[in-house]
Amino acid sequence: MEQDDFALMDDVKHDREGAFEALVRRYQKRLYRLAFGYLRNHEDSLDAVQEAMVKIYLARGAYRPTAHPFTWAARILANHCIDLLRHRRSRPTESLDAPQGEGEDRAPRHLVSQDEPQQARQERRELGRVLKRAIFSLPANQREIFMLRHFGEMRLEEIASARGCALGTVKSSLHRAAAAIRDYLGACDPPIKYPAREGEAR
Amino acid sequence: MMTPFGCGRARRAMPLRYYSALPAEDGEALDRHLASCPSCASDWEALRHALDAADPGTVFPMEAEVDWDHQARATVMRARTAAAAGAPSTASQPGPWRRPWTTLVPAAARWAVLAAAVLIAVLLVNGWPGRRAAGPDGVPSPSASAGLPSDESVRESAALIENRLARRGATRYLTDSRVLLLNLVQAPARCRKADGEFDITFEKEKSRELLRRKNLHEGNLDTLRDRRLADLVGQLESLLIQVASLGDCASARQIHDLREQIEKRQILLRIDLFTREMQEKTHVV
Repeated sequence: MEQDDFALMDDVKHDREGAFEALVRRYQKRLYRLAFGYLRNHEDSLDAVQEAMVKIYLARGAYRPTAHPFTWAARILANHCIDLLRHRRSRPTESLDAPQGEGEDRAPRHLVSQDEPQQARQERRELGRVLKRAIFSLPANQREIFMLRHFGEMRLEEIASARGCALGTVKSSLHRAAAAIRDYLGACDPPIKYPAREGEAR
Repeated sequence: MMTPFGCGRARRAMPLRYYSALPAEDGEALDRHLASCPSCASDWEALRHALDAADPGTVFPMEAEVDWDHQARATVMRARTAAAAGAPSTASQPGPWRRPWTTLVPAAARWAVLAAAVLIAVLLVNGWPGRRAAGPDGVPSPSASAGLPSDESVRESAALIENRLARRGATRYLTDSRVLLLNLVQAPARCRKADGEFDITFEKEKSRELLRRKNLHEGNLDTLRDRRLADLVGQLESLLIQVASLGDCASARQIHDLREQIEKRQILLRIDLFTREMQEKTHVV
């Protein structure tokens, strides 16, 4: 059975063997997605996650279980990404709004199933591109909250705690973000085709 | 009784319903409205489709290409190296989406303030140099001066403190450099960007930091007047400059060359001997 996050963080704090690696494995993908929301670049996001995890390890003794460990980790990562963005602004090498590298939106090699029809694959890729544009067109606050909810898999209460704001603020930001994304996708011409999904929506 | 939803209110309630943040009563009213209004029902479907599609697999296709096992191992190794090198923690209790104040004050400045505070405290306890309790005619009274240390002893104790701080600084600098070099030649992380190369981003950054520290403490190291130390620090500096000037990914050949230089000059052994000696002297002092 998978260990509870608080218990795992306690093990990390007490340097129990394998605990930090387990924490890294548990959080790295979710943190990568959050980092991508700030940095918009695959490699930079991977590096940012690694650097944030190093900071988490160095600060493990100061962690207090008043916040969920992922909330704490997400704050450290967000601070780190904001620093990187400030650094980029002071030494610009590329525009923050520039389109991503050619490879960013291509389908992953081992996800390209031979069974999936070519057209469905293209539609899925196109949907990903449009969604990314829609998400990055949101105001910063709304975007961060949307990313935390969808890609950080955080509950609304956790987001409020992480950002130090009221639950109502999170709800209204998410409300606006969701409506904006729906409108963005709805205004696409030709209309977006959604892949068929199993089961009910969340 | 709940008032029925109009189209405008229904549309506003939809995102909250999606995130399960709508009160149950409003949820029922929304369901009733959707059952009777094809236009809102179609809007609700569009919203659900759009938000359902916002999943990591669709938005981050590159995520599936990452070797997460390797990434986790490299992260753990990097964290342990940083901890072994005594890197300062800057993220203990970060404010919400803000930087902690400690990052605003460089580590060197914090050490300088601490050293100055220790020195002032000692001088206050021992008496400020040149200041003496004076008699009514301005001549130091024999009883007062007998109870205070002489100028010479104050100078001696200040020199001792300075010497001890310099030794500690040198020991820490050498230990950190040793950890860095050890990690670089014994367990370099594989580079994600190029096959067969090694990711030395962290080591490069650390080398630069060590070079900055060396420049900062150069005067302190000189106070030790130790030719062996000066020689060792000089050779170490040349190695650190080499590491700092490499690319983010180093080839196996470059790592091999560094290893050869370190072995040839017996840097690790010399640092080990020197730091032990320093530590013993610090304890004796």
